[in-house]
Amino acid sequence: MSFVSVQNLQKSYGGSPVFNDINCQIQRGEFVTLLGPSGCGKSTLLRCIAGLTAVDSGKILLDGNDLVPLSPQKRGIGMVFQSYALFPNMTVEQNVAFGLRMQKVNADDSRSRVREVLQLVELQDFASRYPHQLSGGQCQRVALARSLVTRPRLLLLDEPLSALDARIRKHLREQIRQIQRELGLTTIFVTHDQEEALTMSDRIFLMNQGRIVQSGDAETLYTAPVDVFAAGFIGNYNLLDADSASRLLQRPVHSRLAIRPEAIALGPGGELDGLVRSHSLLGNVIRYRVEARGVELLVDVLNRSSADLHADGQRVSLTIDPTALCEVA
Amino acid sequence: MNSIKRSRWLASLCLLPFALFFIIFQIAPLAWVAIHSLQAESGWGLANFSKVVSSKFYRQAIQHSLEISFWSSLFGILIAILGSYSLRKVDSRLRDFVNAFANMTSNFAGVPLAFAFIILLGFNGALTLLLKQAGIIEDFNLYSKSGLIILYTYFQIPLGVLLLYPAFDALREDWRESAELLGANAWQYWLHIGLPVMTPALLGTFVILLANALGAYATVYALTTGNFNVLPIRIAALVAGDISLDPNLASALAMILVGLMTLVTFVHQWLLKRSYHVAR
Amino acid sequence: MSRAETGPSRLYHRLVVYLLFLILLLPLAGTLLYSLATSWSASLLPSGLTFKWYLALWSDPRFLAAFGQSLLVCVGALLLSVLLILPLLFVVHYHFPRLDALMNILILLPFAVPPVVSSVGLLQLYGSGPMAMVGTPWILIGCYFTVALPFMYRAITNNLQAINLRDLMDAAQLLGASTFQAAFLVVLPNLRKGLLVALLLSFSFLFGEFVFANLLVGTRYETLQVYLNNMRNSSGHFNSALVISYFLFVLVLTWAANRLNKDKS
Repeated sequence: MSFVSVQNLQKSYGGSPVFNDINCQIQRGEFVTLLGPSGCGKSTLLRCIAGLTAVDSGKILLDGNDLVPLSPQKRGIGMVFQSYALFPNMTVEQNVAFGLRMQKVNADDSRSRVREVLQLVELQDFASRYPHQLSGGQCQRVALARSLVTRPRLLLLDEPLSALDARIRKHLREQIRQIQRELGLTTIFVTHDQEEALTMSDRIFLMNQGRIVQSGDAETLYTAPVDVFAAGFIGNYNLLDADSASRLLQRPVHSRLAIRPEAIALGPGGELDGLVRSHSLLGNVIRYRVEARGVELLVDVLNRSSADLHADGQRVSLTIDPTALCEVA
Repeated sequence: MNSIKRSRWLASLCLLPFALFFIIFQIAPLAWVAIHSLQAESGWGLANFSKVVSSKFYRQAIQHSLEISFWSSLFGILIAILGSYSLRKVDSRLRDFVNAFANMTSNFAGVPLAFAFIILLGFNGALTLLLKQAGIIEDFNLYSKSGLIILYTYFQIPLGVLLLYPAFDALREDWRESAELLGANAWQYWLHIGLPVMTPALLGTFVILLANALGAYATVYALTTGNFNVLPIRIAALVAGDISLDPNLASALAMILVGLMTLVTFVHQWLLKRSYHVAR
Repeated sequence: MSRAETGPSRLYHRLVVYLLFLILLLPLAGTLLYSLATSWSASLLPSGLTFKWYLALWSDPRFLAAFGQSLLVCVGALLLSVLLILPLLFVVHYHFPRLDALMNILILLPFAVPPVVSSVGLLQLYGSGPMAMVGTPWILIGCYFTVALPFMYRAITNNLQAINLRDLMDAAQLLGASTFQAAFLVVLPNLRKGLLVALLLSFSFLFGEFVFANLLVGTRYETLQVYLNNMRNSSGHFNSALVISYFLFVLVLTWAANRLNKDKS
């Protein structure tokens, strides 16, 4: 039996449907990401699970109990918001202790639990600071501590890292994952950033226009997208229609084809002849635009040495890994 | 360098006409009042002020002013809090309409308002008769302190709503949601988070309402033909009334009124600074 | 993204708003009814409806004179305000930005010093002698300028900050305009809407001013509010018609200001 089970969930805003008949199962202790573009319904689904947005029909089972008739106060769910939502009139310690106060935990227990969780997020020295005295990353860690201290059964994170700059984002990403593993806490994470999804999750639910398009672990989602949308969203797939694919591979192809840019090798002895149109340096990867048999392809090459540099206009030969070809709907 | 200096000179000249008018019509009268409050028949000194303090009549005027201002501001702000909070929660058509209406009624103060209240709540007023018939009240005297408090409360409400409506912007929705998930019900949210965050704005508004009521002259003058004992009426009577004119005593009373208003204004400015600190 | 209000709380909020509306409406409604009533003494409702009070009002030369005089004084005061405040604001924001802090304190004066207090000094200083103005409309215009000052200063300051005065002026001057030209041709047109709204609102406020009008000028130059007060002993119906007419006039002004404000955003 899965720990979290969303069954036949329906929700519409003023006539237009947000999602229609959503079903998904999450195991205990899993870290699951809802991934998708803006407006796909991932945040709304999260808020429905939290009870902040009402559903039209369906069930949300947490450890066997239906959450839908319960108010947010009674669901035992912790949530971290994109805007941190720290109470400005309280210190870090008071913010974190708030949930325990609502549960009427006595002062001594509360204090020790707060200290414990602040150590977990490495902010034990900031207990008497106010939110406006903290940086974005620190605020988010306090928000995380505040939702963990009440020992929730489920942790929800609504794009918690989007408002932070890149370096802090990477660091917090690792910290969140580490804490989650340590506590064995079932977690649902919402993001539109595929890198975050791929690095952090046990499983990813890819959403588009209110439907779950594909679900699976990072490897599956990356190497085997089910349709054009999935291929276009994750990674930098080359998406070829049937005619171009046939022309490229010189054999009949009946559906669209997705090829990962790193699955094409630029080197001597290749089977295809191509011409370098342009390139961009992405740091450790060089991305080339190569034209072969009238088809334009993105090719990613690891920037290992000068042998990997090809000038614009240079003729190159390509090898395409046949196992990396993916037929998509 | 020269052209910049020249343009600065010209600019300063532009300030002159404004300064002139401001001094003539605002600063000079205030200065006159300040100086003459300290001048009595016996020469310089605090004679006027001791006269005020020792006179039961003038003490009553100050007391009435403070009482009416305090109670009307309190009732006004309570009604305004509930009103503007609900106003934010209704649909936009109703909200815009009532907002605009409150805006317009804030102009309905002074003499016209006094007349309107006489029609409704005077001795033969329609509302007085209605309430008498329903047995809710025995008799109602609009021209008393409680009548004035009701009247003042009425014109405090639009001002309160106007000031408090944007103050609720300081409350973020995700604080509420966060608090809910942590187990707080509506009361607990308001007690621990909502009201504390809004306190500077609430106090600031209360203080403005106080100042508004303290200085009000037109309404009470029109209602009671200058016969009710509040500070502004006393001041005006001593300079433009029918009986004994004593501009120096009037100045002393005026300085007391100004003192109260200045205190109130300072408190408001200080509270404004605090509210920025909390509301971020 | 906010939560949908559940049934009972939505009802509560609607009720509160309707109640608020009712409370604010009541005196107005009562006055309106009284102005249309043939007679309405010690009874719950008027005995009949008529327009005769309005006809009497609008054909009364004293009323029309008072209305006209109110208009003159208010318009005059606002004209003076514009002439004095616009250059002031421009100079402060462009040349002496540190003066803004001082100005913000100065404009608190009309709030902290109620008109009654100023009147004490004004009557003594300008009642006789070289600067005798008491009893003439001139003293009113000057005083109304100080009343309008805080509104206009704040409104136009916000506007100036929103349009980023410095950048506009710099850009204009780099393109060859003198300071004067830049101010007139570039800055002023951008202030138009904010200025208009501030003027309309100040006008409504000034039109209802009574203290200065009564204490400093009284019947010697009767404004509408003073006229209203002086007519207190005549028929209550007549007074109600007067009040409603005044209020309708102010209503139109505030409605126009509201519309302009909405257009802006």
